[in-house]
Amino acid sequence: MKYNRIFAVLLIAAVAAIISCSGKTKQVAVTLDWWQFWTDPAIGPTIQKMVNDYETANPNVKINLTDLTWSDGHEKIVVAFSSGTAPDIVELGSDWVAEFSSANQLADITGDVISDTAGFLGWSPGIYDNKIYAFPWILGTRVLFINRELVRKAGLSENFVPINWAQLRELCFKIDSIGGDVHGFGSNAAEKHRLYKKFLPFFWAANGRIISRDGKLAVFASDKAYRALKMYKALNDSCSLIDTQSRLEDAFLAGKIGVIISGDWLLKRIRNEKIPIDFVTTLIPGPNFPGKSFAGGEFLAISAGSKNKEEALKFIKYITDKNNQLLFCKTNYSANPSNREAASDPFFTDDINLETFVKQMNMSEMVPAIPQWVYVEDIIESTLEEVLFNDAPIAESLYKGNKKITKILFDK
Amino acid sequence: MKPRQIAGYLFASPWVITFLIFWLFPLLFSFYLGFTDYRLLKPTYSWVGLDNFAALLSDQAFLQSLKNTFVFVIGTIPLTTMISLILALLIDKNFPGRTIFRSGYFMPSITSMVVIALIFTNLYSRDGYIYLLAKMVGLSPPENGFLLSNKTALLSVMAMDVWMSVGYYMLLFLAGLKSIPGELYETADVAGAGPIRKFVSITLPLLKPVALFIIVINTIKSFQVFVEVLVMTRGNYDTSTAVYFIYESGLSRFEFGYASAAAYILFLIIAIFSLAQFGLLRQRVTP
Repeated sequence: MKYNRIFAVLLIAAVAAIISCSGKTKQVAVTLDWWQFWTDPAIGPTIQKMVNDYETANPNVKINLTDLTWSDGHEKIVVAFSSGTAPDIVELGSDWVAEFSSANQLADITGDVISDTAGFLGWSPGIYDNKIYAFPWILGTRVLFINRELVRKAGLSENFVPINWAQLRELCFKIDSIGGDVHGFGSNAAEKHRLYKKFLPFFWAANGRIISRDGKLAVFASDKAYRALKMYKALNDSCSLIDTQSRLEDAFLAGKIGVIISGDWLLKRIRNEKIPIDFVTTLIPGPNFPGKSFAGGEFLAISAGSKNKEEALKFIKYITDKNNQLLFCKTNYSANPSNREAASDPFFTDDINLETFVKQMNMSEMVPAIPQWVYVEDIIESTLEEVLFNDAPIAESLYKGNKKITKILFDK
Repeated sequence: MKPRQIAGYLFASPWVITFLIFWLFPLLFSFYLGFTDYRLLKPTYSWVGLDNFAALLSDQAFLQSLKNTFVFVIGTIPLTTMISLILALLIDKNFPGRTIFRSGYFMPSITSMVVIALIFTNLYSRDGYIYLLAKMVGLSPPENGFLLSNKTALLSVMAMDVWMSVGYYMLLFLAGLKSIPGELYETADVAGAGPIRKFVSITLPLLKPVALFIIVINTIKSFQVFVEVLVMTRGNYDTSTAVYFIYESGLSRFEFGYASAAAYILFLIIAIFSLAQFGLLRQRVTP
């Protein structure tokens, strides 16, 4: 009897051990490597929380989070792709997707996300050769920031906001005429990767295009481009403080600039640093009515060499869903989620400034998704430098720029 | 092989292996790459012969960066050499607080270039002290600051480089001055030579080996100017230099073939300059 009991106990223990072992083997562990750029202490813990929540809900998945910095992140990603050590999921800037997709380094996710396209904004940079390679995550656009105190001092109604170029020019000139160290407009110096972003809103608002619709011609030089550059140069030459973006923002916050073009990071700074400035945000004016702005953003892509594409896509859809994008934007005070449902949340619509960004996003363009963008960007900036800072003739400079873009894109 | 020899090779091996892997191989491989169209992310690459070199010689951006580099070299080396020699002569005298001056002049040489470049970026800006000082003394500096103007940006970077380098070269000159035997000056005194005569006939000829060393290493260093440009202007406002061009081509656009070809053109220029300097100055140094 005694032996029977011992035997029964041993049998139960053995069965339990077998069950527990088989349970472990059933949970096939999938490890996803994710490289991302949000390292700011304000948002880092939120990203980590999203990851932890996902791991809890999906015990078979482990996410290896790696932080990248904007100073060398691009180099690291290029090296990883070319050495075959790319992560499963990688965050890419909007103008990088074409570079990697054209080199066959990203997984084609068209079939898996086609049903999601209607619910999200900003797909165009993620599409190359009619295939989708990256999922839009957090986007960003630029709006006009106006110092209302300077508007009052300039003799205008404090509620005045310009809706077209003539009004913008008038506003900037009047603020500039206050004199002293006050300037009407904040114009970017020849700062790489920044200058063109300030000109393109004017260019696009005038219906300018860099490449023709059929993608076969460079059409950067046009009467529209001429008109836009003439307008921008008028602001630059007659009523602007010319400096780097960060110093322009400092000057705006110090009440030395009436009008600047900036992004949601400036809103965040004003809020976090409790800067006592009476300002308003509004849509960037166009020739006759509110025009267009420059938009970019963060995209999530799956490496072509990933062995866990299905899991990676599932995770991307989780990170970009309404709740996580809202959580992200609320924590980081970001204004432009890619998820349309999230963008209509009261968090954005109840905040007059965030609402401006949401509206502006619907009237924004992103740069063309071409692998040679880095060269084209360089040509546009050189053209702007020539015209704005060396007083080169506008038409001739645009023509020269167009010729260079044609050579880069079409080797003609 | 004798055990003693084996031990010698073993002791030398850490350096030799490191040299082969991290210096010699990249050096030879990059030379090879200069003749290819190699780009990161491009799955294959092919031999293009001298195409990269030909393209570089008609690339306006490269030619402009070479021109800027020459301006930098020609503008900074004579000034740095002269100022450091003058400082060395002054510091060589006995006067109270000499050590403080010596340390003070040398301090920039041991400070990070990035830190100095950031400080000078602020000093040169529209509300920086150098800018305000220039205005105060009646000069008319560029409206948006020294670094935001084609006319003054490169000159400003050069001025900072001179300020930063003189302390180090001053110490080298000082060492050279200390090695001149005092008896020569005593003899000159007896012969009735004045201070200028002593400087021209004793100090200067005997400092020539040090001057040669300073000019050659400063030339090589100046041809490779990069960090200042990266931190202060990112190559804007006509300040792009040859190494900055190589950095942009190689690490921003990942055109390793093109960047390698540019690096070898620069290597050739530095080699020619250094050999010419050795040739010219050695004749005068050798008694």
